[in-house]
Amino acid sequence: MKFFRSLLAKYMLIIITALFLFQFIIFLTATLLFNTGMAKERNENFMPTVIEDKWHEQASNLENDQKKINDFFARWKEQYPDSSMFWINEKGTLQLQLDLEENVPSNWTATTTARFIKERYDSDPFTVIAFVGKEEKEGFVVFEIPRDKLNKEFYEEYGDLLLGIGVIILILFIAISFLFFRSIQKRLIYVQEAMEIRDTDHLPVQIDVKKQDEIGQLELTFNKMVDELKKSKRREQEEEQLRRKLIANLSHDLRTPLTKLQANLSILQNEDQTEVGRQIIQVMEDSIQSVDGLMDNLISYTLLTASKYKYSPEKVDMIRFLRTSLASWYPLFEQEQFEVDIQLDSVKIGEWYVDPLWMERILDNLFQNVLRHAKSGRYIGVRIDTTSTYEVIVMTDHGKGMKHDSDEKGAGIGLSIVDVMIRGLDLEWELASTENGTTIQIKKHI
Amino acid sequence: MVHILYIEDEKEIGNWVKEELIEKGYKVTWLLSGEGVEKYLSMADIVILDVMLPGLDGFSIGKRIKNEYQKLPILMLSARTAVEDKIEGLGFADDYVTKPFHPKELIARVEVLLRRFNKKDQIIELQHLTIDPQDFQIVNRETREEILLTGKQYAIFQYLFRHANQILTKEQIYESVWEEVYIENDKTLMVHIRYLREKLEKDPANPTIIETIRGIGYRLKE
Repeated sequence: MKFFRSLLAKYMLIIITALFLFQFIIFLTATLLFNTGMAKERNENFMPTVIEDKWHEQASNLENDQKKINDFFARWKEQYPDSSMFWINEKGTLQLQLDLEENVPSNWTATTTARFIKERYDSDPFTVIAFVGKEEKEGFVVFEIPRDKLNKEFYEEYGDLLLGIGVIILILFIAISFLFFRSIQKRLIYVQEAMEIRDTDHLPVQIDVKKQDEIGQLELTFNKMVDELKKSKRREQEEEQLRRKLIANLSHDLRTPLTKLQANLSILQNEDQTEVGRQIIQVMEDSIQSVDGLMDNLISYTLLTASKYKYSPEKVDMIRFLRTSLASWYPLFEQEQFEVDIQLDSVKIGEWYVDPLWMERILDNLFQNVLRHAKSGRYIGVRIDTTSTYEVIVMTDHGKGMKHDSDEKGAGIGLSIVDVMIRGLDLEWELASTENGTTIQIKKHI
Repeated sequence: MVHILYIEDEKEIGNWVKEELIEKGYKVTWLLSGEGVEKYLSMADIVILDVMLPGLDGFSIGKRIKNEYQKLPILMLSARTAVEDKIEGLGFADDYVTKPFHPKELIARVEVLLRRFNKKDQIIELQHLTIDPQDFQIVNRETREEILLTGKQYAIFQYLFRHANQILTKEQIYESVWEEVYIENDKTLMVHIRYLREKLEKDPANPTIIETIRGIGYRLKE
């Protein structure tokens, strides 16, 4: 990034401009005022410093002579009509006065003099005290003039104006700084909001980069990240596609020969068979079903443990769900002459937040297990129950229990799937198995 | 005669299924791929479709068929058992049977579909009743009297009849007939079934036509 495009450079520019502008405008104003206002209209003689110097100078040239001093006063009066003057002689007596408005003591002591000086110092009227003559022994002359008749000093006259200009420039600087930072803030908020927008694929969308400064760089980096995310998502989808295809092909390639086997067995079954022949065909058909189920479970288990099994939970009315599942399993239990004992009306349970396909798989595996391994009991009971903390689905069979070696093995993987799925659905399950049967409880915390 | 259009590229399986179907009295047209399927669609009563086919796959063919012939039932027959495949298949097809399958199962499913889509036109005898699927006239063969049902009884019986031999849950029947959500423990359906049995059954106390499946629902047994 170029330095001159950065926000830092911009802000430095604002500060430097403000500083230089401040100096420059003050200087310019002062010069302008000085050159125009002062020189033209002001008489130098009305400057306090000029008066002071002149009074001192002329007083030092005087002598202790009433007439001369009177003339001196008259000359000054001519030039400064609003002024008043008086002379205190060497004895401390008020010797001469001109247009004095206030009462001045006639006899001056050291105290009177000190009080007078103290009173007049830096106040109105403007007062100048000077000794008569060079010896400082012949008394002193005092010149008074109201301050409003005098010229003001330059800073006295224009100080407020200059201060005002300074304040305006300062306020301007603060306002520009404020606008500058607000524009940054606005852009940051915009970037934040843009980052929160999601595309149809649930990934963030790219931001339109307008400027090449720090925020622009941030946006560029963000866009790069979005790009990488999209790529990675695409890769994941491709892998997913490949995996699905592989499984589909594998499933197809394994099941086609099984189907052929089934086809040939069926043809064989249509021929005249001995009792042994029929039994062999039956065993082979059962084996086909068993291999089929195992393949299904194996694929599911692989997917489940790799967290690749599709999971989309929703609210499910469990009673209705159980009834539908049982409706599809009932004929199979009926065929095997099971007593099917269903009690779903006794208590009411709420909706469960589960993936119906997972739940279906759990129930299918459990019912399949009962059909395969608890055939001897000829009983399946399904009921629902509630406790203060749980809603429970209870499945009971009267088989010989899980420990007993069933004629058909392979229950392991089916139950492993049930276990992984139940935990995945945030449910709990308990399995109690004795020689007189097995009870499975699927529990949901209320 | 019911005409089945069967599309399967695996010759051994195709031959066997065709023979099994012909033996059950169906007319079968067996194609090795989806090519030229259009010619047979107007004549077919049901389509049995394999998924993995050379050229266009079964899903695509099935969707095309369903687009043109909504009332033609399609049964997918596939060695692909993944949940995603079943979901995709059932998105348009009316049933999905996975390989390997028993011929009895396939035929049972075909029968269910034919019944559901009203493709069987011969008069059906159900115990002492004769039912004409076209105008749904029910006659008691013993008394030779026609049995007249009320609107709701008729709707329930028709629904059960179309899904004969299938167990239907209380929710399914209620929601299909009344077209509103079933509320648990509602007795309306039970009462209607009782009246229906009084008209249809020889001994309504021990029904043999409409069976109660305790805890689940009902089944019409053929």
